[in-house]
Amino acid sequence: MTSPAALARRAAPVFACIGLLAMWQVASLALKNDSFPTALEALRAIPDILGDKEALINILASLRRMAMGFGVAVLVSIPLGLLMGRSRAVAAFFNPLLMVIYPVPKAALMPIIMLWLGVGDITKTLVIFLGVSLPVIYHSFEGAKAVEEKMMWSGAAMGLSSLQRLVRIVLPAALPEILTGCRTGLVLALITMITSEMIARQSGAGNILFNALDMGQYDTVFAMIIIVGAMGICLDAIFERVRARLVRWSEPQFDIPLSFS
Amino acid sequence: MPSRSSEWVKPVTSQLPASKIIEIGRVSQVFQTSARKDHLALSDISLAIEEGAFVSILGPSGCGKSTLLYIVGGFVSPTSGAAKMKGQTITGPGPDRGPVFQEFALFPWKTVLGNVMYGPRQQGVRATEAEAQSRALIEMVGLKGYENFYPKELSGGMKQRVALARTLAYHPEVLLMDEPFGALDAHTRTRLQNDLLNIWERDRKTVLFVTHSVDEAVFLSDKVVMMSKSPGRIRQVIDIDLPRPRRRNELLLDPRYQKYVVDIERMFDEVDESGSAL
Repeated sequence: MTSPAALARRAAPVFACIGLLAMWQVASLALKNDSFPTALEALRAIPDILGDKEALINILASLRRMAMGFGVAVLVSIPLGLLMGRSRAVAAFFNPLLMVIYPVPKAALMPIIMLWLGVGDITKTLVIFLGVSLPVIYHSFEGAKAVEEKMMWSGAAMGLSSLQRLVRIVLPAALPEILTGCRTGLVLALITMITSEMIARQSGAGNILFNALDMGQYDTVFAMIIIVGAMGICLDAIFERVRARLVRWSEPQFDIPLSFS
Repeated sequence: MPSRSSEWVKPVTSQLPASKIIEIGRVSQVFQTSARKDHLALSDISLAIEEGAFVSILGPSGCGKSTLLYIVGGFVSPTSGAAKMKGQTITGPGPDRGPVFQEFALFPWKTVLGNVMYGPRQQGVRATEAEAQSRALIEMVGLKGYENFYPKELSGGMKQRVALARTLAYHPEVLLMDEPFGALDAHTRTRLQNDLLNIWERDRKTVLFVTHSVDEAVFLSDKVVMMSKSPGRIRQVIDIDLPRPRRRNELLLDPRYQKYVVDIERMFDEVDESGSAL
C-alpha cells in the first residue's frame, strides 16, 4: 500500500485543502474587503476561540443538544421506519403525515415552537430531532421494505414470532440502509443545530458566529465556520468508521480500483 | 411398472393410513393479479405424502408448484381447502417443516456457523451444544473450513449447502425444497443432487421437492407428481421404482431410469403445450 499511486491518493485531500486555503488567501488579498479576512487571519482566530472558556461552554452546549436531538431521533425513527416498511397499514397512516412534513424546512417551524416552548434547549433540541428524523425514517422504511420475503419465511419456520423477526431479521438486514440514513441525519443535525441557534440567539456555536458578525469581527466569523465545518468532518469520519465496522458483512469484497496504475 | 393412469391421485376424503405425514385436501389458490382479474393458480389439489418419502412436484413454470409448497410450509394460506401435517391443519410456519429456497435466503450478517446455529439457538439449545452440532452439519455438507465466512464470500453452490445445513440443524420432520438447485450451474447442480441424496439416504426424512427438471425429479424421488398449468392441477403421480442407494453413474445406464425420463418428458411436453394453448 505504499506505491506512489497509493501515496498520491492519500495525500490528495491534504493538497485539496491547502489549495482551497491558498485560493482563499489570494482572493482575500486581491479583494481587500474588510468583511473578507484572509485565510491566515481566520486560522489565527481559531486558537483564541478554543482557548476561551465561555466559547467552549457554548460549543459544548451545542454539541450536547445535537447529540440529544440526534439520539432521540434515531431511537424513534428506526423502529417507526421498520414498522412502516413491514406493515402496509402503518405505512398508510404515517406516509401522508411525513409527506407533508418532509419539504418543510424544519427551521421554519421554529417560531411556532419557540412560542410554545420558549427559546431554551427544548426548542432547539426538538428542531434538531425533526431534522434528523425524516431521513432516518425514510431509509429505515426503504431498508425494511427490501428485506427478502424468503428470509422472513426462513425465520418464521425456525419459530421466530413477528416481533422477533422485526428485531432479529429486519433490523440487521436493513442496517446498511438505516446507517446511510443516520449518516445523512448526522450532517442534518449539525446544520439544524447552527440554524436553530441563529434563530433563537441565546447560546451555542451559532450564537458565537452571529455575535461576531454583529460586532464586525469577521476573522472570528470565518474561524467559527472553519470550526463548525471541522466538527462536521470529524463527526462524519467517526460515524463512517463505526458504520463500516457494523456492516462489514455487506460491503463488496474488493475495492473497485480507482486508478489504472 | 410406471403407472400411467391417474389411480395415484387419491382424494383425501377416503380414509388415510397413519403413515401419511402430509395431506393436502382439495386445495385451491386464487391470486388477484389486478383489480378485476383473478388468476387460479391451483385448482382442487389433493395429495397425500407418506412419511419418509422423497416426493418431487414437477411442472412447467406457472403451474403453481411452488405455491403448493408454500401452502404446506404455512407461508401462504390456501383460498380454499386445507393442508394437514400429521392430521393437524397447517395454519402457519413451524420448525417441523423446514424450507430450502432457490434464493438461499441466508442471513447475510451471520457467518456460516452463525446461520446454521440460528435455528437450534432459537429452539433453546445451549450455545456449546448448538455449535458442536452445527460444526458437524457444516462438515457433512462439505464446508469444513468455511465456518467463519460470510455468505457474500461463498459461491452459489456453497450458499445452498449452508442453507441446507441451516434447515437440517433444527431437525424438521419434513424438508420443503423449492427449486433448490435452480440457480446453480449444471455441474454444481449435479454435485449437490448427489450429496443431497447421500444425506437423505442416511436418515430418510420426508422431502417435498419442487423442480422443473425431469431427470432431477426421477433421479431423486420415490414419487413424481406431474402438474399442468393454467390452472395448476395434478396431472399424474408416478412411482419411481428404482433401487436405492442410487448412484448416478449406474442410474444413467439403467434402461428403467431412461424410460422414466423419456415418458415423463413426453408428459411434460404435453402439459406445457396444452397449458400455453389455453
